[in-house]
Amino acid sequence: MTTWLWILGGLYLAVLVYATVYSRRRTRSSDDYVLAGSNVGLFWGFLTFSATVFSTFTLMGMPDFFRTHGVGAWIFLAVADGAVAFLILCFGYHIRRRVAEKGFKGVAGLLNDCYGHRWGGYVYFAGVFLFLVPYVAIQIRGIGIFLNAAFPEALPVWGWATVIVFIMLAYSEVGGLKAIIYSDALQGVLLLVVTWIIALGCIRYFGGVAPMFEQVRAADERLLSTPGPQGLFTAQFLVASFLAILLLPVTQPQLTTRIVIMRDTRSMHRMAVAFGVFAMLVVLATLPIGMYGAIRYADAPTSEFLANVLLFDQAPAVAALAAIGLIAAAMSTADSQIFALGGELRSLLSGHERVVMVRTKLAIVFFAGAALVFAILSSDQLVLLARVSFAGTSLLGPMVLAGIFSRRPPGLEVVVVTALGVLVFLGSLAGWLPATLGPVRMDLGLILLVSLIILGSVVFRHAHARTVSRVS
Amino acid sequence: MHNGTLLYWRLCCLGAAALSALAYTPLVIPAGRYEPMLAGVPLTLWAGIGIAFALVGLTYLGALVHPDEDSARHDDR
Repeated sequence: MTTWLWILGGLYLAVLVYATVYSRRRTRSSDDYVLAGSNVGLFWGFLTFSATVFSTFTLMGMPDFFRTHGVGAWIFLAVADGAVAFLILCFGYHIRRRVAEKGFKGVAGLLNDCYGHRWGGYVYFAGVFLFLVPYVAIQIRGIGIFLNAAFPEALPVWGWATVIVFIMLAYSEVGGLKAIIYSDALQGVLLLVVTWIIALGCIRYFGGVAPMFEQVRAADERLLSTPGPQGLFTAQFLVASFLAILLLPVTQPQLTTRIVIMRDTRSMHRMAVAFGVFAMLVVLATLPIGMYGAIRYADAPTSEFLANVLLFDQAPAVAALAAIGLIAAAMSTADSQIFALGGELRSLLSGHERVVMVRTKLAIVFFAGAALVFAILSSDQLVLLARVSFAGTSLLGPMVLAGIFSRRPPGLEVVVVTALGVLVFLGSLAGWLPATLGPVRMDLGLILLVSLIILGSVVFRHAHARTVSRVS
Repeated sequence: MHNGTLLYWRLCCLGAAALSALAYTPLVIPAGRYEPMLAGVPLTLWAGIGIAFALVGLTYLGALVHPDEDSARHDDR
């Protein structure tokens, strides 16, 4: 496998260097650097969006989720992703209309314009920083664990994590968003090809789909239904996860930015459909890998299961491709998020363009450093950590939607309620506050409560403004 | 914007909301039950696959009838 790893790894690095240099040459302004000229077509747009959503969280986390918790993992991710594709149509249309009116440097800056004060942007930025840094860390840690399990002699987990962060920073800082988009496209194709090659191998191992489920039933029939062997997939957990994942294009700046920078509405619409198809194909492929793990590595730790199923049970070329695919997946998601954090900070800064760009680039290095530290310190529960990150950012969703959809600037109470929601969620995570609101999970209860209050505020202000205009 | 297009778009939105809600009812995720199986695939999975693919299908239809797509098509002419 080592020979294949050198060949494919060398090829991947060569393409990355070429894409970075090519992007650098074509970057003429800070908008080119941060927003790729806001002229991305269907092909690059759908691949960069899909690759940003699907990461090590998918290729490593989802097989492990299927293995441990059973088929409910499909409802957890695929149904939510189908709904995300549809949401892109609605949200994309409205945010692009807002951007046409007010311009776009980042979501935080756009919120400042929509709200008519800076608090909306500040709360949004604080929220995405708090919850995206751990998500970036998951990508880096995931790949560190995997490479450490595969090559225990080479480097410790933190060593691999540091190497990944350095490579990622190098091409992001030099090539900007265009370089990231090209690397995303490469990663998206790799991810799809690798997962399906491994998935088909797993199905062949069982002799078909029906025998696969038959063996799983014999091993542990609880894997074939919800809530699964460990009781994780309760209706409440799945609904809360659905809302958290559904709101990703609204709340995660790297995804919102990719909707905004599409060339036109038609490209954006087709991107949504292509993303939906891509999502179904990728999640479907992780199912047999997980079922294979449930039979062959039922009691193995996550890292051992992944190292075996993705590397040691595969032909050398496939194993090398899987290793490169995983590294690419981790880097493409992490760089997009770190770069988006830089872009969001830039949208809040004012002053000379060159000074702002220097500060943005320094901030990107700082965010990468913070993610690296978190990666070294965090746990190995990749999907659950990702879900906490999604749930945290989803609390920003109602505030973003109110700003984008409302024709009048929403009140300051919308921002205050959102900030309080985030603080309560953090308190609950830290164990300072209860994990439930009565009979309801804290994350689900909070998103429903925050949404209701914000909806009430927007409706009341509209009704009040209409009454005042009628009277006058 | 055509009234017919708007109606189709709203129907797509309604369909997407209904399908999403359906996925979290006991019809799709009955606790501890995996039968009836379809071609060896357990209930929650085949129903979930149907719903997820239907959502993508609705996204395709929604993209075709979206009011903004309609105006873009007219602008192109």
